[in-house]
Amino acid sequence: MAGGTHAYQTCGCGGRVPADSGLHHKWWQRGAGPGSRGPATLTFWSVGADENAQAFQAAADLYKQSHPDTTIKVQAISWDDGHAKVLTAATSKSGPDIISGGMSWGIEFGELGGMLDLNDRDIADVKSKTRPEVMKAITSPDGSVYGVSMDNAFYLLYYRPDLLAKAGISGPPKTWDELFTALDKLKAAGIKTPMVENFGTFEWLPWFNWLKQAGGSLYADDCSKATIDSDQAVLATTNWARQYTKYGVPKAATDAGAGLAKGEYGMAIDGSWVVSGLDSGHPEIKGKWKVAPLPSGPAGAGTFVGGRIVGVMSYTKYPKAAVDFIKWLYSDDAIKKLQTEVFNKEGALYLSPRPELVDSLNTTDDVKAALKTTMETVTGPPNCKGWELSGADVTKKLQSVVNDGVDPKKALSEAATIMNNNLK
Amino acid sequence: MPGYAMLVPFAVLFIVFLVWPLLNSLWFAFTNYNGVKPPQWVGLDNFQRLWFEDERFRKAIANSFIYVVAAVTLTTVLSLVLAVAFRGTSWRDRIMRTLFFLPAVTSTIAVALIWRWIFSVEEFGLANTVIGWFGIERVQWLASPGWTIPILVLMAVWGGCGYGMVIFVAGINAIPEEHYESARLDGANGWQQFWYITLPQLKPVTTYVVITGLISAFQLFEAIYIIFRAVSSVGGVQDSGLMLVPYLYDMGFTKFQLGYASAIAWTLFIIIFVVSMIQIRVTRALKEL
Repeated sequence: MAGGTHAYQTCGCGGRVPADSGLHHKWWQRGAGPGSRGPATLTFWSVGADENAQAFQAAADLYKQSHPDTTIKVQAISWDDGHAKVLTAATSKSGPDIISGGMSWGIEFGELGGMLDLNDRDIADVKSKTRPEVMKAITSPDGSVYGVSMDNAFYLLYYRPDLLAKAGISGPPKTWDELFTALDKLKAAGIKTPMVENFGTFEWLPWFNWLKQAGGSLYADDCSKATIDSDQAVLATTNWARQYTKYGVPKAATDAGAGLAKGEYGMAIDGSWVVSGLDSGHPEIKGKWKVAPLPSGPAGAGTFVGGRIVGVMSYTKYPKAAVDFIKWLYSDDAIKKLQTEVFNKEGALYLSPRPELVDSLNTTDDVKAALKTTMETVTGPPNCKGWELSGADVTKKLQSVVNDGVDPKKALSEAATIMNNNLK
Repeated sequence: MPGYAMLVPFAVLFIVFLVWPLLNSLWFAFTNYNGVKPPQWVGLDNFQRLWFEDERFRKAIANSFIYVVAAVTLTTVLSLVLAVAFRGTSWRDRIMRTLFFLPAVTSTIAVALIWRWIFSVEEFGLANTVIGWFGIERVQWLASPGWTIPILVLMAVWGGCGYGMVIFVAGINAIPEEHYESARLDGANGWQQFWYITLPQLKPVTTYVVITGLISAFQLFEAIYIIFRAVSSVGGVQDSGLMLVPYLYDMGFTKFQLGYASAIAWTLFIIIFVVSMIQIRVTRALKEL
């Protein structure tokens, strides 16, 4: 420290050492720094609603009961500017100790040097509890894990059984063929917008569901090349585009709940978070809507899974305490607390990375069944190099199929070229 | 000395919060910098990639110029028309001026959200409701690339003409009344008075309105960011609304290419500087005719 003074910090070795001594560096590396033995106060930036942050604060308070030396202060940051805020924190090396964020944020900020590789912190138990598809999506190509799954979000099919019955449809469509038949019948029954598709509307995200259902993939398993121009991808793109061009599915995000409540939409493909807000937001259709897994394609069922990761910023003074808390978030106690608090505070369902705990959610058996079935077929975003750069360009190529009538094969070939260039 | 001492607080703030960040940004423009790892000097690579290889940048430039020309021209013309129509001191003129000026003092975010509602594809979207009265099919306004720039221009004209009008009213009221009296004595009609007296006398005001309009039009961000987020990532569907500042934001804060984003920022500065210089020179040349 300047001026010949030393800042003293408590170390795990029973005494005090100057912060700028070599000793400080050594026990830091071992993860036995401040917070391991002495009191530590950590800041946790939770991206999302204030109510969600309050639920995590309640969980953090529960954690403190068994870890009295560690205080976690949870602060909400919005999705709109959260990405830029975390980047600013990583740049300035000041800010939160723990962050949650989009599924890709761990790899993004980790590769920048902004987050800790949790592999060095004994997260084997966490890995074993997470679905392999989710784990793959949040693992960097070099094997680093900068953030572990905090919650999951995936697509579900919401529908109004009464409207479907009125149009002569016996139940939710289970296959692509049944889906298009249902869309035809709903239109014939006078429903102008037979279906809406939210959660990355008109972007690559919902298209990814079709890709999986057709048996396609974005990249080869070893990330050696893009496989987006396969025959399966062409089939997926053709059918994905058909819903917009033939059936008038909106290309802009809509309020699925309001549309279903008013009877303007017969079906809605939307995020799993919608399931908890339908009854509270639209009590007039309580008991009149249902939810089902997405229709299957020729290769079976398939659903994109997103959600939030939680990780530790690289500059934190309390790496051990931060990682301990993250590991605790996977415990039965933590998940049950979060399920209760998230429901009480924001009326939402907390879909933890542990699918076996769906049964303890505060919802109906039908919803639990749909959630469990869907979770068995989820696939996360690719973790291959350059995907973050390629995603927007791939979306544009897909949009050109719908807006400009470009041949799907040509559009996907161009997308493959972009992805392969970014792989280098 | 006391006089200079009084300037110190301003000078410190000016240097710390303007000069230093500007110089830093110029330095970053010649580096590969992701915000976390130290910048690496790459010379002119960022500018070479930007000007000769980057298709998105070309799209952003083209969109920006189309938008700027359309928005600034229409805003200036409409501002002048409104100023001529409501330049008086009657209550009617004052109320009308207030009404047209209101968008200029309204939060951009609030205004953008209202426009998003107007062009929503859902049943409650105002634009679709209105065309529905005439039996026209619903249009997916925000998801149709062809509508992106017209919608942005409409917003710019609606939001900007009140501000321009106030400037023009000040300019018109500063023209000596004797010019009009002489013209009337010579038999000039209203149009001739406008064309031969008002318009030439307003050249400096017009230059000001056009240049400030150009600068703000080139810097368009919030409208695109807020309105088109409902349909696509930054830039709207198929980059139909991608302009320079949204592109800068995308490269800097989404893709972490802060060096490249700095190069975009300096390119934007050069464009605005050159266009403004041309505008000033043209106006000066016209004045000397």
